[in-house]
Amino acid sequence: MLLPTVVLLARGLSADFWPTLLSPVVVDALRVSAWTTGLSLLLTVGLGTPTAWVLARRRFPGHALLETLLDLPIMLPPVVAGVALLLTFGQSGLLGRPLELAGIRLAFSPAAVVLALLFTSAPYYIRAARAGFSAFDPDIEAAARVDGAGGAGVFWRVTLPLSLPFLLEGVVLAWARSLGEFGATILFAGSLQGQTRTMTLAIYSALESDLRPALVLSAIMVASAFGLLLLVRVLTAGRRGGA
Amino acid sequence: MRFLLACLALGVFPAHAAPLTVFAASSLSDAFSEIGHKFDAQTGHRTTFQFAGSQLLRTQLGQGARADVYASANAAQYDPLVEAGRAAPGQTFVRNRLTVIAPRNSTAVKTLADLARPGVQLVLADKAVPVGDASRKAFDLIARAGTYGSDFSRRVQANVVSEEPNVRQVAVKIQLGQGDAAVVYVSDVTPALKKDVRTIGLPTRFNPLVSYPIGTLTASQNPAAARAFVAYVLSAEGQRILKKWGFVGAR
Repeated sequence: MLLPTVVLLARGLSADFWPTLLSPVVVDALRVSAWTTGLSLLLTVGLGTPTAWVLARRRFPGHALLETLLDLPIMLPPVVAGVALLLTFGQSGLLGRPLELAGIRLAFSPAAVVLALLFTSAPYYIRAARAGFSAFDPDIEAAARVDGAGGAGVFWRVTLPLSLPFLLEGVVLAWARSLGEFGATILFAGSLQGQTRTMTLAIYSALESDLRPALVLSAIMVASAFGLLLLVRVLTAGRRGGA
Repeated sequence: MRFLLACLALGVFPAHAAPLTVFAASSLSDAFSEIGHKFDAQTGHRTTFQFAGSQLLRTQLGQGARADVYASANAAQYDPLVEAGRAAPGQTFVRNRLTVIAPRNSTAVKTLADLARPGVQLVLADKAVPVGDASRKAFDLIARAGTYGSDFSRRVQANVVSEEPNVRQVAVKIQLGQGDAAVVYVSDVTPALKKDVRTIGLPTRFNPLVSYPIGTLTASQNPAAARAFVAYVLSAEGQRILKKWGFVGAR
């Protein structure tokens, strides 16, 4: 199990690492991946946190159904997610036409990449955040309210600090997932260097001509995956220690 | 199929029956699948195919992938394997031309000139893919003719919104209505695709025939069966099937 990783790292880090790292193919892929995953992560946290809070604290008809639907992309093969996005937001998709009339072209744009990443990775954050908001007794919040704290005050002073390790873990998992996304992106956003060609797409296309960028990008992916896993480990350890 | 089942039922295969792996360009998917069925039924061999962009198959074969026959969509992705001693010299077994396709219900691209209009979303195969290479050469030929201006090729390529890994991925984007136009081979406009796309012809002077080479691989475990498959593709029956799927015959 360890051998392929070691071989990949050794090949990727050998000989031409720096010149290849600075080549346009690699730099463009890193840039596209950095900002698309960054933006999708911001949207995930911004939209996912309130969603997770409502799911953890409120009971309403269809609660279980909504929870399951939000989890669904975790189970969906990425290619299926890509088809779903294409049929919804694609050029001739359900919402694609009205969007086009409104002057918004999602197809083949970096926005399509962000949407693909959001769709496939946000569930990981929402799951973790939901667990975070359910991890402590709501009485603590009630007590804070009795002591005179307002709604926002309770959230910032009590809820957020108590669930923070969970939220961070969710962010890391979602980020790792979006860095590795391939199927939904290539189907929904296409693959164009400097625009929509993320790291995984660049690895795939480089495999067909020049192997070196693929090896270097793969080595970077291995290193970042390792770093992120380690981070999750530290975060969950901190949680266990604190509880 | 019946033959295969009969063999399985008896638990024996004829002495000469062999498993055969054929690496073939994406554009050959339909024609070779049919050829494979007929070939297996006649010979008792069990042929499996791997279809992908010729450049990807070439990389895999170069890295030591085991296969018996390689059919590439151009010589540029075949000859390096001959030089490396991995494949026997290729023979041209079929030829093909390019065509422009557009979604049936879209009016963004109606003529060749429209390809260069600003804002048109064009899907091409990657430069390394044979059809991607041929498409760019065709644009250069049109630019050189001057009909649509000498910067035609540059303006068209500025409209490219995605560079796909093989010709069937290019076709499926247009079939799904994603993108205003694309360049594929004439043979890719299969009955299944015809329902969803319009074709815009590319005059033959901009559209030279491309030749597909086929040959056996030196790593083949069943060289006799591999040679038989190549011979079948070159036979009258093999050529008939290829022509049926829109290819131009080898000679």
